[in-house]
Amino acid sequence: MTSRAADLLPPVRPRRAFQLSGLPVGALLAPLLLLGLWQLLCLSGVFPPQVLVPPSGVARTLEEMALSGELQRHLGDSMRRLLLGFAIGAAAGMAFGVTIALSRLAEAALSPLFLTLWQVPVIAFVPMMVMFLGIDEPFKLAVVAIAAFFPMALATFDGIRGVPKSWFEVAKVYRLSLFQLIRRILLPATVPAVLTGLRVSLTRAWVVLVAAELLAADSGLGQMMEMGRQLFQIDVVLAGVIVTGLVGFLLDRGARWVESHATRWRAA
Amino acid sequence: MTGWLTRFPVRVAIGLVAPALLIVLWQWQTSEHIVTFAPPAAVGTALLDLIRSGDLARDTLATLKRAFTGLAIGVPLGVAVGIAMGIWKPIDRLVGPLLHALRQVPMIGWLPLMGLWFGMGATTELAVVGMSSFFPSMLNSHAGVAQVEKRYIEVGGIFRFSVAQRIRYILLPGAMPLVLTGITQALAFAWIATIGTELLTGANAGLGVAMQLAQVQQRLDIMLVIIGVTAALGFTINQLFRQLRQSLLRWQPSV
Repeated sequence: MTSRAADLLPPVRPRRAFQLSGLPVGALLAPLLLLGLWQLLCLSGVFPPQVLVPPSGVARTLEEMALSGELQRHLGDSMRRLLLGFAIGAAAGMAFGVTIALSRLAEAALSPLFLTLWQVPVIAFVPMMVMFLGIDEPFKLAVVAIAAFFPMALATFDGIRGVPKSWFEVAKVYRLSLFQLIRRILLPATVPAVLTGLRVSLTRAWVVLVAAELLAADSGLGQMMEMGRQLFQIDVVLAGVIVTGLVGFLLDRGARWVESHATRWRAA
Repeated sequence: MTGWLTRFPVRVAIGLVAPALLIVLWQWQTSEHIVTFAPPAAVGTALLDLIRSGDLARDTLATLKRAFTGLAIGVPLGVAVGIAMGIWKPIDRLVGPLLHALRQVPMIGWLPLMGLWFGMGATTELAVVGMSSFFPSMLNSHAGVAQVEKRYIEVGGIFRFSVAQRIRYILLPGAMPLVLTGITQALAFAWIATIGTELLTGANAGLGVAMQLAQVQQRLDIMLVIIGVTAALGFTINQLFRQLRQSLLRWQPSV
C-alpha cells in the first residue's frame, strides 16, 4: 500500500522555466509577449472572430460579466462547492487514513475494498452518482468529496505508517493516552505528508468539479463554459478557460505556500 | 498479540467482510426501491449479456483505441518537447511559459473550447486525450534531462560527441527513468480523460458512452459492469507498463 504513495506525488515541476532573469519584469515578459502575439494574430485576420477572440475581447467579456455579477455568481458557486465538498472529503479521508493506519484489524478489513475502489477513476462514478443523487448540489458535493477522499486517506495512512516505531515506544514509556499520542506525536510527525495530501486532493477536487459542472449544473464555471459552447460564445468559453486555469493555479500555489511554511521547522 | 491477523486466510476473510456487508446492504435496498437498484445478481447477468451481445467488446475496443491514439500523439510530442526544452534553453524560454500557462487549466476544461473549434467529435476527443498525455510526458522528460549529471555531459564533450550522439548516448538514457515516470502518469491521465470526454461528448461507442446511456436508462447493473471494466483495464494497463518499465530500467542499480 505504501508504494502507491509514489503515484500520488505530483509530476516533477521544473521551476527554472519561470525565472528568466530573476526580475519580475523578466517573468512577466513571456506572458505579455504571448498576449501580444495572440492579439496580433487576431488583428491580422488569420482567424475569424468566430474562431478566436482577441485577448482584448476576452478581457471585455470578463469585465462585462464581472460588472453584471454573473462571473461572481459562477465563481462563487464553484468555490462554495469546492470548499464544502473538499472539507467533507478531506476530513473523512483523514479519519479513514488514521483508522486504517492505527488499527491492523481495520486495515485488514477495509483496505482491500478501499484499494479496489481507488482503481476506479472518480469520473467513472459520475453517471452512477447522477442516478442516485440527481444533478443538484448533493451530487456535486459528493463528487468533490470523493475526489478529495482517496488521496487524503492514502497520504494520511502513509504519513502515520512512516512514523518510526521507536517514537511509539517512547509514547508507551510515557504512558501517553490515545489522544495524547495523536496530539503529541502523530500530528506533528505527519503534518508534511498530510499537507501534501491536502494539496493533491484540492487540485484533484477542482479538476473533477469542473468536469461535473460541465456535465450537469445550473451554475458554476464549468456550466458557464458549457453554456458558452452551446451558444457559440467563444469569448465566454475562453474567459471560462482562463478563470478556471487561474483558480487551479492559485489553489496549487496557495497550498504549496502553506506546505512550505508549515514545514519550515523540518529544515532546521 | 496480533499475530493471527498476519495469517493469509484470516486476512482474506477479514478483507471480504466489508464487501460482503456492502452486498447485503445492497440486496436489502433492492427490496425497498425496485426501480433504481438492480440486485447484485443482476450485475452478473448484465455482464454475461453484454459479453454475449458483443457490446462490451465493441465499447472496450473503441475506448482503448481512443485512449491509445491520444497517447500516440501526446506522449512522443511531450517527450520530444520536454527533452528539447531540457537541452536548449532558448526553446525552454520560448515555449515554457506558454505550456506552463496552458497546463493550469484542468484538461476536461478544454472540452467546450475544443468542441467549438472542432465540433464535439473524434478530433476534440483526441485533442483532449492527447493534451492529457502530453503534459506529464513533457514535464517529466524536461526534469529528466535537467537532472542528468554534468559529469556525463563533460565526458561526452571529451569524446567530441555530436548533438545527436549526446542525446542518444547520454541524455536519453540518463533521463529515461523520469521519462518513463512521465509516461506512467500519461497513461493514467489519458485513461481518465478518455472516459471523461466520452461521458461528455457521447460519441457513438465507448465505455463512457455506455455509462452515460446506462444512466439515462437507469440501469445500475450495466453501469456497475462498465465501472468494473474501466477500473480493471486502467489497473491492467498500469501494471503492464510497470513491468515494461522495470525491464527497461533493469540496468539501474536500485529500481
